Amino acid sequence: MSTPRTRHWRREKALPYLLLAPALVLLAGMIYPFGLGLYYSFTSYWLQYPNRFRFVWFDNYVDLMSEPLFARALEFTLGFTLAAVVVQVGLGLAVALFLHGRIPGRSVIRALMLLPLMIPPVITALMWKIMMASTNAGILNYMLSFVGVDPVNWFGSTQGAVASVLIIDTWGNLPFVALILLGGLQALPTEPYEAARVDGAGPAAILRYVTLPLLSPFLVLVVLFRTMDSLRIFDVIYATTQGGPNDATTNLHIMAYQYSFQWYQMGKGMAQAIVLLLLVVIVSYLLMRLWNRASESTS
Amino acid sequence: MTSQAVSYQRALSYQRYVRNVAIAGATVLLLVWTVFPFVWILLTSLKSPGDMLSVPPKFVFTPTIDNYAALVIGEQRGQYSSTRPDFPLFFLNSMIISIGAVALSVVAGIPAAYALARFTFPLKGALAFVLMSFRFVPFIAFVIPLYILYQQVGLYNTHAGLILAYQLITLPFTIWMLRSFFMEIPLEIQEAAKIDGCSWFGVLARVILPLSLPGISVTVILGFMFCWNAFNYPLMLAGRQTFPVTVGAIQFISYEQVLWGQMAAATIVAALPQLVLSLMVQKYIVRGLTMGAVK
Repeated sequence: MSTPRTRHWRREKALPYLLLAPALVLLAGMIYPFGLGLYYSFTSYWLQYPNRFRFVWFDNYVDLMSEPLFARALEFTLGFTLAAVVVQVGLGLAVALFLHGRIPGRSVIRALMLLPLMIPPVITALMWKIMMASTNAGILNYMLSFVGVDPVNWFGSTQGAVASVLIIDTWGNLPFVALILLGGLQALPTEPYEAARVDGAGPAAILRYVTLPLLSPFLVLVVLFRTMDSLRIFDVIYATTQGGPNDATTNLHIMAYQYSFQWYQMGKGMAQAIVLLLLVVIVSYLLMRLWNRASESTS
Repeated sequence: MTSQAVSYQRALSYQRYVRNVAIAGATVLLLVWTVFPFVWILLTSLKSPGDMLSVPPKFVFTPTIDNYAALVIGEQRGQYSSTRPDFPLFFLNSMIISIGAVALSVVAGIPAAYALARFTFPLKGALAFVLMSFRFVPFIAFVIPLYILYQQVGLYNTHAGLILAYQLITLPFTIWMLRSFFMEIPLEIQEAAKIDGCSWFGVLARVILPLSLPGISVTVILGFMFCWNAFNYPLMLAGRQTFPVTVGAIQFISYEQVLWGQMAAATIVAALPQLVLSLMVQKYIVRGLTMGAVK
């Protein structure tokens, strides 16, 4: 027989689990399909040929690695991520530093910059698809003609397609980088700046030796978020180039989609998805370690 | 004043002049880069098919609301196009799915966030990690098994199925955000309420919820926006009766042709709620996008 006190104690102990129960049920509903998918990645699941369903161990993974397109898709995934992160963080830092200065109408610019950030990425892609029409009616080619650039075949040529995906992704995500870094700049302590000024440091030296080191936790954070999302970019590519031309913009995510929803080879598509997941996890883990080090060194 | 000093003064004011011009130039560039696509798409959506294809592109033309009318009544579709985007239905679908998904996440998320913010229990760290780890998974890893499961259990092409799938977007986000707002409430207030005889439910209902109402509203609005933006889950799990606006807008690209004007009108309509809502919660967007990592 339990005393009232222990009963009370037991109830206290069970309470957090009761509170969590609804969320845990939903969570289980998410983890279960993922586990199922993981299992499918070791099978020859082909939607149109249910009879061929067999457990094939690592065959899907081995097949993928030997696929010539896989190497190209991996290369594009990594290359695109590197380019996107460098361009977006570089420009985003420039915009943040610019807006950190006393600029007239700063709050208006800041508010307007939220708009590209918060509209659906696929809508962003469609907007640019209209502007990047390769005919002479395309406004972007028309504007570029004033600065002496010949009409670009945006989605039809290899370089044009890669450039267009990068431009569209940058338009949508530059505000994310700029706003986080601007927030970081505004939160920086003022003493190091006074000290540097007393020492006679110029603006370039202050940026290099004071601002950037202090800002490093924020820089690593935006690099982390942008890397994770660039590795998995899907919407923009799907709505514009669909991975073409000649698979020039096919990344691992698009390739997994093609396997599973164009050819209905669910096993192979799932194996591809797991490879992509592992890539994201490994890269993020490395960046998170960097983040921990950056936040420790500044605090 | 010596002539040397005058020329120095002149050089200084010239330098200031250059600086101001540079700042003005950069500001204009940033504004054009940010806003011009919206302006251009708005103009495109008001053009007749003839103006659309004119070379050079027209900035001045007689506007028409035909494209928007076509969105609403489904007229003016392509001559050869077999598909007929039903945009009012897509808009309604987006509303139903987004509101449903956020409601479910908030109902399940409030007690869960309360537990994570105010109790210590075994496996708490593991749970927090699981919640965070959803942020890493490529959507295709969920959508392949969900597609197969949904076909089997009849959730494919239903609002309920999409609301459940959208929990992948909203639930971890909601719990994480609410937890960070709950944790901002001083413990002393909670202790005082307990001394006054409040149970855990009283603390939640009379202290935590009223005090974090602004935070809950922000979480709800941001969650709604993320659902509205969702494209890839409904692309695979919805059918023509349940497509949201994001998937609907892409329907204007058919095999034969692209209905540019209607697509432009559709993108404006699909983006409109986001434009309004993002200005409402602008202070919190960065916090929401980083799941509370940056305040």
